[in-house]
Amino acid sequence: MIKDFEYLAPKTLKDALTLLDKYKDEDHKVIAGGQSLLVLMRQGLVAPQYLIDIKGISELSYIKSDAKEGLKIGALTTHRAVEKSPVMKNGYSVLSEMEKRLASVQTRNWGTIGGNICHGDPAGDPAPVLIALNATLKVAGLKAERTVPAEDFTLDYFETALEPGELLVEIQVPSPRPRTGTAYSKFNIIESDMATVSAAVSVTLKSDNKTCDDVRIVLGAAAPTPRRAKKAEAVLRGKEVTDSLLKEAGNVASTEAEPLSDIAASAEYRQELVKVMVARIGREALARAKKA
Amino acid sequence: MSKYSVIGTRVHRVDGVEKVTGTAKYTFDMVLPNMLYGKILRSPHPHAKILSIDTSKAEKLIGVKAVVTGKDTIGKKQGIWRRFPELCDEEILCREKVRYIGDAVAAVAAIDEDTAEEALDLIEVDYEPLPAVFNPMEAITEEAPQIHEGVELNININRHLEWGNVDDAWKDCDHIIEEQYVCSSQAHVCMETHDALASFDHNGKLTIWTSTQAAYYIQVLAADMLGIREGDVRCINPYTGGGFGSKFELDSAQFCAALLSQKIRRPVKIVLNREEEFTATKRRTPMYYFVKLGAKKDGTMLAKEVRVITEGGAYTAMGATALYLTGFFSSFPYKYPNYRYDGYRAYTNTAPTSAMRGFGAPQSTFVGESMIDNLAEDLGIDPIEIRRKNGMTPNYVVPGQAWIQSCGLHECLDAIEKHVKERGKLPPNRGIGVSAYGFMSGGIFNWFDTPYAFSSAIVRINIDGKVDLFTGANEIGQGSNTTLSMICAEALGVKLDDIRIHSADTGICPPDLGAWGSRETLMNGNAVKRAAEDAKNQLIEFAAAKMGINIVYDMDIKDGWIHLVDRPERGVSYYDIVKDAIRGKDGEAIIGRGHYTPHRKGMISPAYSFGVQAAEVEVDPETGRYKLVNVTTAHESGTVINPVGIEGQLEGAIMMAGGYGFCEDQPMDEGKILNPSIADYKLIRALDMPETEILEIDTYEPEGPFGAKEAGEGLTNPTAGAIGNAVYKAAGVRIRHLPITPEKVFRALEAKKKQEK
Amino acid sequence: MKHELKFTLNGQPYEIYIKPKTLLVEVLRDELGFTGTKRGCSSSSCGACTVMLNGASVKSCSILALQANGAEVVTVEGLAKGAELHPLQKAFLDHGAFQCGFCTAGMLMSARGLFEENATPDVMTIKEAIDGNICRCTGYNSIVRALTAVSKGEYKEES
Repeated sequence: MIKDFEYLAPKTLKDALTLLDKYKDEDHKVIAGGQSLLVLMRQGLVAPQYLIDIKGISELSYIKSDAKEGLKIGALTTHRAVEKSPVMKNGYSVLSEMEKRLASVQTRNWGTIGGNICHGDPAGDPAPVLIALNATLKVAGLKAERTVPAEDFTLDYFETALEPGELLVEIQVPSPRPRTGTAYSKFNIIESDMATVSAAVSVTLKSDNKTCDDVRIVLGAAAPTPRRAKKAEAVLRGKEVTDSLLKEAGNVASTEAEPLSDIAASAEYRQELVKVMVARIGREALARAKKA
Repeated sequence: MSKYSVIGTRVHRVDGVEKVTGTAKYTFDMVLPNMLYGKILRSPHPHAKILSIDTSKAEKLIGVKAVVTGKDTIGKKQGIWRRFPELCDEEILCREKVRYIGDAVAAVAAIDEDTAEEALDLIEVDYEPLPAVFNPMEAITEEAPQIHEGVELNININRHLEWGNVDDAWKDCDHIIEEQYVCSSQAHVCMETHDALASFDHNGKLTIWTSTQAAYYIQVLAADMLGIREGDVRCINPYTGGGFGSKFELDSAQFCAALLSQKIRRPVKIVLNREEEFTATKRRTPMYYFVKLGAKKDGTMLAKEVRVITEGGAYTAMGATALYLTGFFSSFPYKYPNYRYDGYRAYTNTAPTSAMRGFGAPQSTFVGESMIDNLAEDLGIDPIEIRRKNGMTPNYVVPGQAWIQSCGLHECLDAIEKHVKERGKLPPNRGIGVSAYGFMSGGIFNWFDTPYAFSSAIVRINIDGKVDLFTGANEIGQGSNTTLSMICAEALGVKLDDIRIHSADTGICPPDLGAWGSRETLMNGNAVKRAAEDAKNQLIEFAAAKMGINIVYDMDIKDGWIHLVDRPERGVSYYDIVKDAIRGKDGEAIIGRGHYTPHRKGMISPAYSFGVQAAEVEVDPETGRYKLVNVTTAHESGTVINPVGIEGQLEGAIMMAGGYGFCEDQPMDEGKILNPSIADYKLIRALDMPETEILEIDTYEPEGPFGAKEAGEGLTNPTAGAIGNAVYKAAGVRIRHLPITPEKVFRALEAKKKQEK
Repeated sequence: MKHELKFTLNGQPYEIYIKPKTLLVEVLRDELGFTGTKRGCSSSSCGACTVMLNGASVKSCSILALQANGAEVVTVEGLAKGAELHPLQKAFLDHGAFQCGFCTAGMLMSARGLFEENATPDVMTIKEAIDGNICRCTGYNSIVRALTAVSKGEYKEES
C-alpha cells in the first residue's frame, strides 16, 4: 500500500530547484518516471511525506550532439528516446544497444535515463556504459551547478553523490576519440531481465590500430556500485590487444569484483562470469575500435 | 472430407469476443453495492503456537467493519481428500498453531483495501515460535519437530505400487543403474491471483464468485467449513484468469471472504496480492527421487524400483494425489514387467505443496527420461530405439493398475526420429534431447467422496432452435467452454453458433468435478455428448412420426437437417421440427440429460494420451548459459476436437514446462520463499520462447467423445527431461537437480574439466 | 488532499478528483470502471496493465495518475469502433492468441503501441514489443503469429 504524501509537480527546472531547496530537510523524494520508485513505494519500503514530481519538466528532455561538445542528454529523456535517437549513430550506438535491452518497451517509454542513474542500482544498465564513455553528469542546485564524473556518481548500493536540494539535469558524453570502440552486454537468464553481471568496455587504439592507447572497463552488478576494473585496464594499456591478453584482463577484473550471492547467482559464479564477459566485450570493443 | 461438421474445425473461442474487448468480467473486476474489501493477516513464523490474538485496535479503526480469527470458525479442519478425515488437516484460519510462513490467522473487512491493510497492522498476535523443519529428508527423522499432532516422523501419507517381482528380476539384468534426482518446486503464476467475492444474504444463503477450477468443490467445502447446507451455497466461476492446478481447493480468499460476509452480511471481496500468491497458495511438489533401473544388453528394461520422498509443506492438500501419480507415471510410458514404487510425503514447515499441471508426472518424467538416456548410452543403444523397444502399445495393461486402449507412442517416436534426422548435423555446442511421456484423461479417484456422477450436462432446446448447454465444467482459459460447445453442436447436428453454454455455476449447472487432471474433454465431453444425443433422439422421434417414415430407416441430424441416414435428401429442417416438438410436448422445451462416470477402466484413468518431445539447446561452454532453440512435439490426443485450442495448450505447456526445466524455482531460507514477485521469479517471456513445432499423430480413443482424449496437462511432462537430455548431448554434463540453471551447467562443466585433467 | 486530474480516456474527456498516490490503473479500473485493463503483479513486471498514453504503451500500475494530467489515454475498451472490432482483436481471435484472457488487454495495448510506431514489424520486433507482457497460457507464439499476420496486412483497418 502506498502511503499518502503531499504531491508537488513543478513545471520548470527553476521551480523544481526552489521546491527541492525548500523541502531539502524534510522527508521527501523526487519522482521522474517512477519505474523503480513506485515499486518501492508500493512495498512500503519508501514512504516520503513530500513527493516532488519532475516528470513534467519538458526542458530536461532533449538529446543534442555536436562534434566539439559531444553528446548531451537531458536527465528526463526517456530510455526509449535514447534508444531510438538517430544521434546515437554518431559514435554512441552502444547507448542505443544498451537501452534496447533495458527492461520492457513500456518501461522504456515512460522511464527516464536520469531517473535510472539516480536510483543507484549497481545492476542498472546505463551507468556502466556512461562510465565507459567517460561521461560527466551535470547536477544543479538552487544556487550552483556542478559536474560529477559518471564513475564517481554512485557511492554505494542505491546511494548517489546528489546532495539534498540537487537534481541531476544533464548527461554529457564527450565525442569519441578516433579509433575508439565501446561495447556493453549483460548476462542474464531471461533476455529483458536485470543484469546478473554486466560489463562495458571502451578501447582506444594508437595510430597503428593495434596498440591500446586507453581503455575503460566497467563492471555492473559485481560490486556495491558500477565499478571500473582499473587493474584489468592496466593489463591492456600500452599493449597490443590480443585474445589472450583480453582473457588475462578478464581474470584480473574478476579479482576486482566484489559481487554478492543472491537468488540469481552465487558470488563465485558472478566472478567467473566477469572473466568471460570482460574478455568477450573487450573483443567486441576492440573490433569496433579498429573500424572506427 | 471430414465426417464432422464442427469437430476439428478452426473456430473462434466462444468467449473470445468478451476477452479481446475487455468486457469479460473476472471475479477480480466485480463490484457489488455495499461491498467491503478484505485482507488476510498471515504468520511470519514457519512454526509457532498462537498464544493470543488481540483484534481490538483493528476493530476500532474507522472503516473496519469486521474482523475474524479462528475463534469465529466452527473449528473444522478441511481437506479435499474428504473420504479420509485424517487427511483433512487445514483450518485455513489457524486457531492454535501456525505451520508455515503465510498461514492465515485473521482477516479484516473494511470499506477499502487501504483501510483493511492498515487494520492488519493493528492486530496483535502473540506467538511462541516452535522449532521448525524445512527439508523433507530431515522431517522424517526422530529429531525433527512434530508438525501435526499424532503424525509420527511427520509422514503425512505413503503410497506403494508393485507388480512383477523386482527383487528376482535384478539377477536377469545385464546392466543396472542407480541414480538420485531432486525435482524442485514451481509456482503456478496464474495471471489472476486467487480471489473471491462472497455475499451472504439475510436468509443465510451464500453466493460466492471466485476464480476457480472446480466450482462444485468450493461449494461443498465452503458449506462444510461454514456449517451450512451445500444447497445454501451457490458458487459461480465467472471468468478465470488461469488455474494450472492451483485453484481447485478451498483457499484463504474464498473462506475468509465467506466468513467475513457471514458475520457482517455484506458482500466481501478478497484478492490475494502477488506476494501472497507466491507464498500463501499451494505449489508444485518438490521431490527427492532414488531410482534403480535394470535392463538386458539389448535394451529391454526388466525392472525399475523407485523411492520418492516429497516435500509436503504444512498440509495435505492435493499432495497425496501427486505422491500417487508420480509413482504411477514413473512407469510411463514403458512396459516394465517388474516395478516397485514407494513414496512418502513428509510434512514440513513450508508452504503446502499440491497439484500443478502434470501432477507429479513432470517430476517422474524428468527423472525417468534422464535415466533412460543414461541407460541407452551405457548400452550403446540409440535413445529413440530404446524407447521404441520398451514403449507402451495399444491395449497394454499396466498390471493391476490401468488399461491403455488407444496409444500412438510408436508413431510419435517415428515422427520425432524423422524430425531429429531432418535437423541434420548440428553446429558445435548444440544438442537435441528427446523425452517420451504419457498422461491420463481425468482420474478415476473419488477421495472427495462425491455421490454425484463425475460429469453431468443438461441440454435444453428452445423454440428457435437455440440450445442452452448447462454443465458444471470449469472454463479456466484451457478452452473447455469452446470444446464442449463444439461437442454439443456436433452431437446434436447444429451449428456452433446455436449453442449457448452456461458453465460452472452450481446454482444452475449439474455438478462436475472440475477442470483438473485433464478431465474435461473426455469426462465432461462424454456427458455433453450424451445429453445432446438424448435431446436429438427426442427430436428424431417427432421427425419420424411427422414424416411417417418406414422404421427400417435410421435418422440423424447434421447441419440442422433431420434426415434419413441412407437417403439424406429426405428430411426436414431442425428448426421447424423443434417448434413442432415443443408444441407436441405441451409446450415443454426439449431437455436432454447426460452424465459420465468411468467404470471398468482400471484404477487411474479411462484413457491415456502419449507423445514424444525433442528439445534443441545451444550451450555456451564458457558460462553454462544455454538457449532453448527449438522444441518439437509429436503427440496424440485421439480425435482433435478443437485444433486452435490444442495448439495453445501445447505451446503454453512448453512455456511452463520449459520454465520448470530452465529457470523457475522457489529458493527458501528457513521456510521463507525468497523470490515472491514476478520480478524475481523468472518466467519465460516472448524473447526467450523457443520456436515450437507440433506433429499431430492420429489416434482414436474408444472411451472418449468422438474418440477424443486429454491434450493439455500431459504436455507439461516431457520438457524438463528433454532439456536435460539436450544439455547432456550438447555439453556432456548430466544435471540431476531441477531447474537446470546455467550456473549448475557451468559447475558441472568445471567438474568435468577437472576430472578430465 | 485530493487533486484534480483532467485527461482524455478513449476520446472522452474526464475531470476527477483523486488522492495523489492513486495510480493510473486505479483511476481506470476503480474510479471510472474500465476493468478491461488488468493488474497481475505489484512489481511492474507482468504488463497486464498496459495502456496507451500519448501514443506510447506504458504500464499503468507504474504511473501516478496525476502524471497523466492532460494526457490522452487509450485502453482496450477504446480499440473497437462500435460493433467493428479492431484489426488486432480480429487477429487475436483468428489465431487463438489468448486463453484465460487475463493478459489480453495488456498484450493488445502493447501491440497497439508497436503498430503505432511501425506498421510492418518483423518477428523480432514483435517479440520485443510484447516481451514486457507475461502470458502464462499461450507460450506467446500464437500472439506472435497473430501480430505477424497484422504486419503482413492481412487485417486492414476499415476506414
